[in-house]
Amino acid sequence: MTGQEPPRNPSGDDQPPPDTGMGMTAVAYLISGMLVWGAIGWLVDHWLGTKGIFAGIGAVVGIGGGVYLIVRRLGA
Amino acid sequence: MTGQSTVLAAEVPFPPKVEDFYLPSILPWGEHNSYWFTKITALLWISIAIIIIFFLVSYRKPALVPTKKQWIAESIYGFVRNNIAVDMLGKRGINFAPYLTTLFVFILLMNFWAIVPFAQISPNSHIAFPAVLAVISYVMFIYIGMKHHGGLKYFKHALIPPAPWFILPLLIPIEFFSTFLVRPFSLAVRLFANMFAGHMLLLVFTLGGFAMLNANVWFAPFSVVSWVMTIALTFLEFLVICLQAYVFTVLTASYVQGALADEH
Repeated sequence: MTGQEPPRNPSGDDQPPPDTGMGMTAVAYLISGMLVWGAIGWLVDHWLGTKGIFAGIGAVVGIGGGVYLIVRRLGA
Repeated sequence: MTGQSTVLAAEVPFPPKVEDFYLPSILPWGEHNSYWFTKITALLWISIAIIIIFFLVSYRKPALVPTKKQWIAESIYGFVRNNIAVDMLGKRGINFAPYLTTLFVFILLMNFWAIVPFAQISPNSHIAFPAVLAVISYVMFIYIGMKHHGGLKYFKHALIPPAPWFILPLLIPIEFFSTFLVRPFSLAVRLFANMFAGHMLLLVFTLGGFAMLNANVWFAPFSVVSWVMTIALTFLEFLVICLQAYVFTVLTASYVQGALADEH
C-alpha cells in the first residue's frame, strides 16, 4: 500500500493544500480571546473589588484580539 | 406479551445514569472493587486485533489485480492518504499517512461498537480513550514543529503572530490559550462527548419505551414510537461515528500542518 505513488494532483490543481481545519481554528481564536481576556478582567475585578466591569471590557477586547488574529493568520 | 414486557420493564432502570457507562467486571467475575477487565477492555483488544489481522491478511500477498479484501484495505489507506494527508500536508503528507490511517481506522472501529448488537457501547464514551489519543496528537504536533523550526523557535513562530509590537501583549495570551490549551482539550472532549451523548440517547429511547409500558399499558403505542426512534437514531449514530473519526483525523492533520507551516 505504501509502495504506490499517490496521485500527482490530489485536489486537481497546483494550489497550496486547502486548510480544512480553518473553521475550527477561527472558532478557537474567538472563544479563547473572549475567555483569556475575560478571565484576566475577572481577576482584575477581584483585585480592585469592582463588580464585573473589567471582565466585560476584557471579553470585548479579547474578541477584538481574536478577530484581529483571524484576519492576520487566516486572512488572504 | 404485555405481562412479559411489564416484568422486563420492572427491571429496567429509568432514566439512564452515568453509572450505566461503568460496566460490571468480567475478570475477576462480578467483583466490585477490582475492574481489571470489563466489556470496554474486551472491545479495545478486539478492535486492535481486528485491525492488525485485517491489514496483515489483506496485504499478505498483494496482487496487481487486487482481491476484495486487498481492495478494501487499499481504499481505506488511499482515502486517508490522498484525501486527508496529501491534501492537507502536501508531499510530506505521505510520511504521516500511516499514522493518520491507523488513527482513523482505530477511532472508527472503536466508535462503531456503539451500534454493534450486544456490544452497544463505544470505549470512546469513556474520556480516557479520547484523552490519550489527543495527547498523542498534541505531543506529535509540538515535536514536529520543534523539529521543523528548530527547538524553541517553533514556540516563537506559534505564539508571535505577524502584528505590530504594541498589540502583541494582547495577542500572545490568546495564541497560547488557543494553540496549546484548547486544542488537546477540544479534540478529546469532542470525540468523548459525541460518543457519550450517542449512547445516552439510545439508552433513553430504548429504556423509555419500557418505562412507559411499565407506567401504563395504554402507553404501548408510544413505546413503539420510542423504539422506532431508537432505530432511526441508530442510523444517526452511524453518521456521527464516521464523522467523528474523520474530524479527529483531519484536525490532527491540520495541527501538523500548522506546525510545519512557514511564515507567509
